[in-house]
Amino acid sequence: MCLGIPGRVVDIRDDQGLAMGTVDFGGIRREVCLAYVAGDIRPDDYVVVHVGFAISKVDEVEARRTFEVLREMSQLEELEWMREVADRSLDPLGGPAA
Amino acid sequence: MKYLTEYRDPVVAKALLARIKSSASRRWVLMEVCGGQTHTIVKQGLDELLEDAVEMIHGPGCPVCVTPLEQIDKALHIAARPDVIFTSFGDMLRVPGSDCDLLQVRARGGQVRIVYSPLDAVELARKNPDRQVVFFAVGFETTAPANAMAVWRARQLGVHNFSVLVSHVTVPPAMCAMLDAPDNRVQGFLAAGHVCTIMGWTEYEPIAAKYRVPIVVTGFEPLDILEGIWLAVAQLESGRHEVENQYVRAVRRDGTVPARNLVEEVFQLVDRKWRGIGEIPRSGLGLRAEYADFDAEIRFGLTDFTQEESGECRAGDVLRGQLKPFQCPAFGTRCTPEHPLGAPMVSSEGACAAYYNYGRFRQAHVATGTTP
Amino acid sequence: MTTTPITQGLVCPVPLSDTERVLLGHGSGGKLSAALLRDRFLPHLANPALAALGDAALVAVQGHELAVSTDTFVVSPIEFPGGNIGSLAVHGTLNDLAMMGAEPVCLSAGFILEEGLPFDVLDRVVAAMGAAARAVGVPVVTGDTKVVERGKADRMFINTTGLGLRRAGGGPAPDRARPGDRVLVSGPIGRHGMAIMAEREGIGFESRIESDSAALWPLVQPLLERLGPDLHVLRDPTRGGVASALNEIAAASRVGVTLEEGVIPVPTAVAAACEMLGLDPLYVANEGIFAAFVTAERAEEALGLLRSHPLGSEAAIIGQVTNDHPGFVILRTGLGGTRVVDLLPGDQLPRIC
Repeated sequence: MCLGIPGRVVDIRDDQGLAMGTVDFGGIRREVCLAYVAGDIRPDDYVVVHVGFAISKVDEVEARRTFEVLREMSQLEELEWMREVADRSLDPLGGPAA
Repeated sequence: MKYLTEYRDPVVAKALLARIKSSASRRWVLMEVCGGQTHTIVKQGLDELLEDAVEMIHGPGCPVCVTPLEQIDKALHIAARPDVIFTSFGDMLRVPGSDCDLLQVRARGGQVRIVYSPLDAVELARKNPDRQVVFFAVGFETTAPANAMAVWRARQLGVHNFSVLVSHVTVPPAMCAMLDAPDNRVQGFLAAGHVCTIMGWTEYEPIAAKYRVPIVVTGFEPLDILEGIWLAVAQLESGRHEVENQYVRAVRRDGTVPARNLVEEVFQLVDRKWRGIGEIPRSGLGLRAEYADFDAEIRFGLTDFTQEESGECRAGDVLRGQLKPFQCPAFGTRCTPEHPLGAPMVSSEGACAAYYNYGRFRQAHVATGTTP
Repeated sequence: MTTTPITQGLVCPVPLSDTERVLLGHGSGGKLSAALLRDRFLPHLANPALAALGDAALVAVQGHELAVSTDTFVVSPIEFPGGNIGSLAVHGTLNDLAMMGAEPVCLSAGFILEEGLPFDVLDRVVAAMGAAARAVGVPVVTGDTKVVERGKADRMFINTTGLGLRRAGGGPAPDRARPGDRVLVSGPIGRHGMAIMAEREGIGFESRIESDSAALWPLVQPLLERLGPDLHVLRDPTRGGVASALNEIAAASRVGVTLEEGVIPVPTAVAAACEMLGLDPLYVANEGIFAAFVTAERAEEALGLLRSHPLGSEAAIIGQVTNDHPGFVILRTGLGGTRVVDLLPGDQLPRIC
């Protein structure tokens, strides 16, 4: 139900009335049915593919934006952790450093 | 791989874990209803890493596991016929029916083949006009558009030796069944990302409102799962119960409309038995009358065939999250991946198999009180 | 965890499915294969040389140690990117000898040909076999050919048996892994299995993946000579992949193995193909790499030696042997979690979930 992976659309063609295309997954290429996203996509767009069907176009802008948010958050976490460590080293026993 | 492997970044994962742990004021209970998400959680040891912040219950999210015994037996019946080439997704082949499984049917001489896409089955039918080619159309809503297209395509190309044995299930009724159970402990859900890619998330809004549970549409990579959990915990901590979308790169509110349309044209809602759970009304998909000529149950005279599951099934308890696989008395002894008693042990997505293959060692330590 | 079987009130709807026939899974190199060997063959054929269950058997003959290995090749399709069943049949058996530290001496080749096989196909296969044997200077000294009716053999099956000589004084063996040993692989994993998968009808995809099929003795020999007894185990992870091979060694040596996910070399194309089908590269067959267990002190040296050879240029240290969790192979993920890498019951199946 779930195994869908993102791939890059290489070409789009009509196969006897059905929109089909080649999708590239990190160097592996496969025939994929593009009928469900045909109106929305062009070559070089990314799509999510499940059992040989593109089920949605990857929103690359959204993907980048939210990933940046996550990365920033992880950098903040690291800074906070570093600060905690620094604080602890000044005050190991809860009183003024000797 | 782009838009995939970045979501495994260990630095970000550790940060998300820290955030979840520091924001949880108590141990929340969440359920994911998706075999792929279960797979990631157990494979990455995320449930272990979440420790006291969150308990993940693995819901009935594996369509392979919940395929009713009845449908498996019909598949075995059809596959054994000499005039049939029976095609299926790989993970269905080892699910036990009442008597055997598809692999054993193959050993006894049946023609059983794995396909990656339902369209491959149609192509096989085109190339083998003197045989009946039957495709085992299982899955949740994610796979329904692909199976619908196979039927539509067979009709369009005039491939009449093709038919489908349908056993589709839908997620929202199952979630409600979980929530209606008197012993329900689930406080929030991760909704299946690819089901929602097709369907959108509007169906979950009334559920969130009625049962007052947060539902976060979540992807499948470790960062997706952790972010989904983080959002769910944030809602629980602030007393909200909304539908939220974590999997923004693939899911829109209305889903993929052309896909929903074709599913609507080819399939209709039917009552469906869920293995180990029982019948949930209007929780499945079956072929519409207009496509009845592609229905393998009609073609092979199996519409009146029924099969009851005998006795009380622990698989059901596992699928409903009442029992962790390692708490089942048969786990690892009478029931192992080589000799599975029920589908959750067979399917590589099933909670039992996931625990067995990935976690058994940990549980052995839990049982003996040693540290891994 | 209870260990007594439940005999009353069977709680699951499905009875135990004891198979009364051979299944494809019995040939996959996983648990079913092990059970087949243990339950159906060993009881009738038991002897000490066989019982060691090494890649090749060692038989003492008047002061020399003879290594013998046999393998039957049933791969389909018989021609694939990077080779064909002929070259594979030579490499596979020679590698089994090499894994015991035996210098290959000669090969036999038995063919079962399906009626109707075109001669040009047969020519390509035998040419490749000849080329592979000459490349390592190991002659095919005897053979046999049978023809069976159409449909009784999937185009062709080949059995090769190899004889080798091992220096007296022991050599690598599956039960010699010791805590502290480092686990190395001589190259990237998963190429052969995915090259074959790419050609399968119903799965088929376009890829640059080529089988890694190769004779490994040229890489093993210098390693043996330099490391001597510090080279504890050699094993080529064929069917069942690296996961199965390491599990067998962990069981034979009664030790635990821990692996670091991040350092296991997987070619991008193999990883992508596995993602697409929901497969784990650790279980995918290889035909041109080996795993080596060496003492901690000599690990870097072994790595350097492997990397200096074209066949070993991507060698890596992927884990180590421990006293903990004997018999289990544990993987540490990039996220800091752990999981068990167990033997699969049968073949890994592509999944949709």
